[in-house]
Amino acid sequence: MEKLVFYYLAFAMIASGIGAVVSRNPVHTVLFVLGLVLHQALLLFTLGSEFLAAVQVIVYAGAVLVLFLFVVYLINLKKETLKRRFIKNFSPCFLIFLLFTLIVVKTLLFLPALTSHFKARLPFPKGGSPLYFMAKNLFQTYLFQFELIGVVLLVVVLGAVFLLRRLDNPSEEGK
Amino acid sequence: MSELICLLICSVILLVIALLHVAYLTYAERKIIARMQQRLGPNRVGPRGLLQPFADMLKLLTKEPIIPYGVDKNIFVLAPLISLVCAGSGLAFIPLWSNFVLSNANVGLLFILALSSLSAYGIILAGWSSNSRYALLGGLRSAAQVISYEIAMGLSLLSVVVMAGSFNLGDIVRAQANLPWKAFLFPQIIGFVVFLISAVAECNRVPFDLPEAESELVAGYFVEYSGMRFALFYLAEYFAMLVMSGLAVTCFLGGWLGPFSIPGLPFFWFLLKLYAFLFFYIWLRATLPRYRYDQLMDLGWKLLIPLAILNLFLTAIIKLLV
Repeated sequence: MEKLVFYYLAFAMIASGIGAVVSRNPVHTVLFVLGLVLHQALLLFTLGSEFLAAVQVIVYAGAVLVLFLFVVYLINLKKETLKRRFIKNFSPCFLIFLLFTLIVVKTLLFLPALTSHFKARLPFPKGGSPLYFMAKNLFQTYLFQFELIGVVLLVVVLGAVFLLRRLDNPSEEGK
Repeated sequence: MSELICLLICSVILLVIALLHVAYLTYAERKIIARMQQRLGPNRVGPRGLLQPFADMLKLLTKEPIIPYGVDKNIFVLAPLISLVCAGSGLAFIPLWSNFVLSNANVGLLFILALSSLSAYGIILAGWSSNSRYALLGGLRSAAQVISYEIAMGLSLLSVVVMAGSFNLGDIVRAQANLPWKAFLFPQIIGFVVFLISAVAECNRVPFDLPEAESELVAGYFVEYSGMRFALFYLAEYFAMLVMSGLAVTCFLGGWLGPFSIPGLPFFWFLLKLYAFLFFYIWLRATLPRYRYDQLMDLGWKLLIPLAILNLFLTAIIKLLV
């Protein structure tokens, strides 16, 4: 039963990922990514982390992807959707894609040997709430790193604001 | 296996009860608003119009579902279902009684927040796929509104979580048992007010019903819908009201706890508080005019979110000191 659920989730995630890349309509792309995120949340749920699953849905599905949808609405993508192909037949991208596929296939071929001593499992101790465990690690053991990431994110936000300011028409400054 | 079947039966029972509540909530709304506006309200179908909800349902079921020209058909059909499922599933996490909660999840509160953030998709996709200006504008407005008010709501609920020390809704109720009035209402009065306002905005109810502002957007995001699909949006709105009221009762008013327990009726206090909240929603609709869009955004970002953060900060400090 567990395996069946896992295979379904894995298959659905790969399928929606491919759908997101292939579909021509940008709104459909966002929807496929939404499907991907939701299945990912379910996968986390089956691994025993309710908290991560809920946060995944709130942050990615509830906030980030809605903003993506906004952007798709606000910029006009009609011209792009009419194009039959986005890239030419033999572009460097295609080569990179081939290389990447090779790596993935090679890894997959070695996978049975790997699974014997490596099992996908979140490092939660048995008994005790995973939420407590995670909070303790985040806010005690790795507090400095955690805050550092916060600073990095703040820098990104400031950078975005700065770029927007620069792009504005200078004649409108000071209004 | 038998556990699964038991769970299924419980879900169906809860769903049927919730649907009945929704049906009679529409009736109560029409009756109460009529009373407040000195009209009679529905009084033809059945005694005192009591069968009106069923007549409405029959009418909506037998109407022709129109799919207009130029819509994105798959998404157009999917959007009302997304709305309904996201609004309705939240009921599973709300404890009606200490021994009756469908899903006793450790982070039930977070799941409800996650579902309510997903329900924005139903609206925004309905608006986009309808291929209509009114609908698109309504959808955009609604998405902006839901995202903004979700932050205030989440923050106000977080201070409850800090006080209770748990994300589990059952534990939150149990944490309130030793307080005066058996509720977080007084220690969390700021959080409660913030939650109440943002919950109304989350459900897109008056005075925050900008997405469907009749006078400017006809009916907003569901202007192109008809028949049962139109009704699904209404169902979703009323389900959302039920879930939000249930959440308010659980987190701020002490859930199933009451001044004294009534033998044989364990749900009594929960339902009483729930009905009070639902009445409050209807009362607001009969009383207040609609906000302007910029006023709505100002209220959310400049007043409610700072207030909620302040409240969270104070709660955390008090929790640390005491």
